[in-house]
Amino acid sequence: MKLKVYADRMSQPARAVIIFCKLNGIDYEEVRVDISKLQHLTPEYSEINPMKQLPAIVDGRFKLFESHAILIYLACSYPGIPDHWYPADVCKRSEIHSVLDWHHSNLRRGPGIIYQNIISMPVIGRRFNPEAVAEGEKFLSASLSKIESFWLKDKGQFLLGGNKPSIADLSLVCDIMQLEVLDEADRDRLLGPYKKVEQWIENTRSAANPHFDEVHKILLKVKEKRQNLRLKGANNEGGGSAMKKPLLSRI
Amino acid sequence: MVLKVYADRMSQPSRAVIIFCKMNGIDYEEIKVHISKGQHLTSEFAEINPMKQLPAIVDGRFKLFESHAILIYLACAFPGVADHWYPADVSRRSRIHSVLDWHHSNLRRGAAPYVFNTTIAPVLGRPLNPQAAAEAETILTSSLSKLESFWLKGNGRFLLGGNQPSIADLSLVCEIMQLEVLDEKDRARLLDPHKKVQQWIENTRNATSPHFDEVHKVLMKAKEQLQYQRLKAAKNEGGSYMKKPLPSRIWP
Repeated sequence: MKLKVYADRMSQPARAVIIFCKLNGIDYEEVRVDISKLQHLTPEYSEINPMKQLPAIVDGRFKLFESHAILIYLACSYPGIPDHWYPADVCKRSEIHSVLDWHHSNLRRGPGIIYQNIISMPVIGRRFNPEAVAEGEKFLSASLSKIESFWLKDKGQFLLGGNKPSIADLSLVCDIMQLEVLDEADRDRLLGPYKKVEQWIENTRSAANPHFDEVHKILLKVKEKRQNLRLKGANNEGGGSAMKKPLLSRI
Repeated sequence: MVLKVYADRMSQPSRAVIIFCKMNGIDYEEIKVHISKGQHLTSEFAEINPMKQLPAIVDGRFKLFESHAILIYLACAFPGVADHWYPADVSRRSRIHSVLDWHHSNLRRGAAPYVFNTTIAPVLGRPLNPQAAAEAETILTSSLSKLESFWLKGNGRFLLGGNQPSIADLSLVCEIMQLEVLDEKDRARLLDPHKKVQQWIENTRNATSPHFDEVHKVLMKAKEQLQYQRLKAAKNEGGSYMKKPLPSRIWP
């Protein structure tokens, strides 16, 4: 029985798992669970993951949720996966655990919150919360600073001084990619100060291509749609750049 | 060179690491870093952990922070650690990763800020934040419910149906123990509905005796002193102690 991956490609951790499977030739069936249609809240999906979140996997009779746990499980259970994804060396592995744990309480609290409030909450009829967005931005800047100054401080192309990507690179970069839906000026304002971070995103993308771009297509489509709406809105209001206005006022 | 564990026993994840070391006969030196005195914010400690948080370890030249990463490292790197703490079996191990990850965004996100914003903040010279407390309480009650109905389902004495504790039990129970410093009525209100959770806490405590109680002594002292202050304030003012800042000598 083939591995099933329950995912919505608009979800950052879901993308990390799918890209990992594709890169490592893991045979799987992607079962789409559409968050915007609230399919993750159905009783059917609760049978798969009672926490009603994505991603989740079912491997034979074994069910698992939480993307970091899934990535580790796949790296350990499937043959032929190169060591750099999840090294056997105890110290290297521990450092990866350390950044994955740090991620939960730091970076993960940034792009996702901003995205949720700007995109997905309005879609499901919930009010956007400006305080939450402000807090999301705060977490995001603090986290990007720490990635720039600490997690990327050594000479490698990837986190922790690595010259090849690990599951931590995939997880964190997929999270930051959520910012693609913002307009260019906002994305530049948030990411621009961090040159090492920008290079690292590009390194991870290159190392994981063509799958990285293919799995991110849906996100980039949303970005395009929003850009078109903004241009339309700007044209109707007699033009003028929205570029300098803060994020919150243009949502 | 002996393992160094940088810890403050008022910190939930610090306690989990210390208890684990004691349970498994791991030779270590405990270096106290007092949060209440801001010692975790010094440039010296930043050399150990640039995130300025506890716990952290130094094993020879290897430095590590984040308590789950530390517990896993110790389970793998030190000889004679019993398999039930962090099983070699991939599926069982993955489930432990799953609950440890869930913990970050759920129990920890609820319990720690709730205790901070209702009780601890004034001791550290910060204001109480009722709104943050209310938000944290929502996450806390939902997490306790999920523990009761999902993570403790089945007949096992520990999380995930286990009959022996894992690092996940240690981590999550140490987190819930922080609720001991709350007002008794508040703590009862939060925990009473969850009989399995209460039994599981007791199971974990027994399985890690006598170290569990010994490592929690500091927290229990703080609990006593806080209770005393509450009674004093209630007698003097006939009202809630909550509006007065608590003296900093309550935090050991």
